[in-house]
Amino acid sequence: MIRPHDSIIIQTLGRFIIPVVQIFGLYVLFFGQYGPGGGFVGGVILGTGMILSVLIFGHDASRSQYARNILHADGVGMLIYAGVGGLCMIGGGEFLNYADLEIPGLETASRRSLGIVLTQIGVALDVAVTAVSIVFSLSAEEIMENSIDG
Amino acid sequence: MSHQLPAILFLLPLFAAISMPVVCLKHRQWSYSISVAVLAAMVLVSILNLHNVIHHGEIRYVFSGWTAPLGIEWVADGLASVILVLVSVLGFLGVVFTGSTSPKDLGGRIIHYYTLILLLVSALTGIVFAGDLFNLFVFLEVAAISSYALIGVAGGRALFAAFRYLILGTLGASLYLLGVSYLYAVTGTLNMSDMVDKLPFLLSSKAVVGGLIFMFIGLGIKMALVPFHSWLPDAYTHAPESISPILASLVTKVAILAWIRIVYWVFNASIVINDIPILLLVSVLGTLAAVIGGGLALAQGNLKRLFAYGGISHIGIILIGISQGNQTGFAGGVFYLLNDAVMQAGLFFLAGMAFYHYGIRTIDDLGRLGKHSPWLTGSLIVMALGMIGLPPTGGFFGKWYIILGALESGNYVSVAAVLLSTLLTLAYFVKLFEALFRQPATQLNVQSGDIPFSFKLTLGITSAAIIILGLFSAPIVQLLLDHAMPPGL
Repeated sequence: MIRPHDSIIIQTLGRFIIPVVQIFGLYVLFFGQYGPGGGFVGGVILGTGMILSVLIFGHDASRSQYARNILHADGVGMLIYAGVGGLCMIGGGEFLNYADLEIPGLETASRRSLGIVLTQIGVALDVAVTAVSIVFSLSAEEIMENSIDG
Repeated sequence: MSHQLPAILFLLPLFAAISMPVVCLKHRQWSYSISVAVLAAMVLVSILNLHNVIHHGEIRYVFSGWTAPLGIEWVADGLASVILVLVSVLGFLGVVFTGSTSPKDLGGRIIHYYTLILLLVSALTGIVFAGDLFNLFVFLEVAAISSYALIGVAGGRALFAAFRYLILGTLGASLYLLGVSYLYAVTGTLNMSDMVDKLPFLLSSKAVVGGLIFMFIGLGIKMALVPFHSWLPDAYTHAPESISPILASLVTKVAILAWIRIVYWVFNASIVINDIPILLLVSVLGTLAAVIGGGLALAQGNLKRLFAYGGISHIGIILIGISQGNQTGFAGGVFYLLNDAVMQAGLFFLAGMAFYHYGIRTIDDLGRLGKHSPWLTGSLIVMALGMIGLPPTGGFFGKWYIILGALESGNYVSVAAVLLSTLLTLAYFVKLFEALFRQPATQLNVQSGDIPFSFKLTLGITSAAIIILGLFSAPIVQLLLDHAMPPGL
């Protein structure tokens, strides 16, 4: 069980830093198309932001309440990934061959671009949620149980 | 569309596994029906795939369209397709059996339990299809991690067994990875078919031999070959009743398949026969395993532990078959692998049913059954015939071809080992039947009511399959000889 941190300095700084961390995570995620970055790194940074918010505001803070329900989203990230792959297969190509991504009205180049962005978003979601769920399961067992039962 | 079948086979259980936590969030009882439906679909697709491979030749599937040495390749040849039918059928039966025997106190974690089973099946599919050494490692690890978690689900002593399996299994995986890195350092490639072209010029390198030995020891731990078998009996005995059949029938057998791939497909048959005498080592260890496993089984009192040691001795027999270096022995080994997987599944279904329906764990308790259990006794007799290797069953024909192969290559010690292990198998089944038919002092006060349909279905299908594999052994072995032979053997 993680309690909110009682130092006002950390709480105030947290309010500033967490949005910046998350925007930087999104930037790294989307910049992965053109340079260093991508789904895994972006996901790690997003996950760090969430972990920071849990550490500062605690499990019970209304701000991080959504994080408990979102623990199921590791399946969602993988589903986005697999769904893009499946759309490629429906389009007649191999799994994850973005050139055959079955979205009408797009050039091959933009299909490739869109395909890779979508899969990277899936990967990022997955990595972020996994990082948070590791922290949750290390910190308090009963909360894991409740979130799964609920 | 047919060229997509190998990818579909892998993605079906994977898709189902990852969507399970989301789909079953509100209705956790759906998880069982979804698993059964997905694995039933997988059985159909795997049969389609086998049909397709037999008639149109092997399929090489490259993910995301990057071609072979760079991309990730899936190789669906005859051998892989045959084994995949086995994996999906036994996975399906295992999940059907799980329905009435899954641990009761799981609560909401039941969803994760089915997720892990499906993940295990998809990882096994990955090992069977993988066309490069590194992906093979990845799927070995996914399968192993799922099995650790599934064994540990029961809690108590199972946790200890699972932890021991985890330590040894991780050691095995690391040794395998070390071997892969040796080969990668020498050849500069991980793709199996690419490595085939490069290896013949590099045989003087000690790294190649070292890499092969490391991979053999690593996979030897995974397949519970005799000096490395100590994790298996504990793990399978203490695992939940519903999990043991899937693990016992599939995980070790698929590790053998991975070894077959490396020794006969990555290395050529002529290399392992003439230049690097690894087949001799495999044959010697197989001989030891066949005899020692049978001997240890004789000393066991617990049903599941007895069957686990029986499985260890049969791993040895399969390895004797495939290490003879001729077609007859190889076909016999692979055919015996199919049989052994079915028999192990059947035996652990039986042990699970004996515990769940009659509360029996040990051989001595069997006597208390009396005449109340036609299903258990009948299927036990069929499986005993198969394990011992008496004629109408597949076990007989498997051993027959293995012995023919060993005679062909003049390896009389192996012949003696197969016969000796047959005698030992006979001995421990005689012990079992002696306990079963002994007039007991205390009858079991049979409470039980009807046997659940899932028990009847799984026991019936596996018992029938043991006989059917025997009756149709000639066409199946012919199919293996025509479509599943390694190049150059």
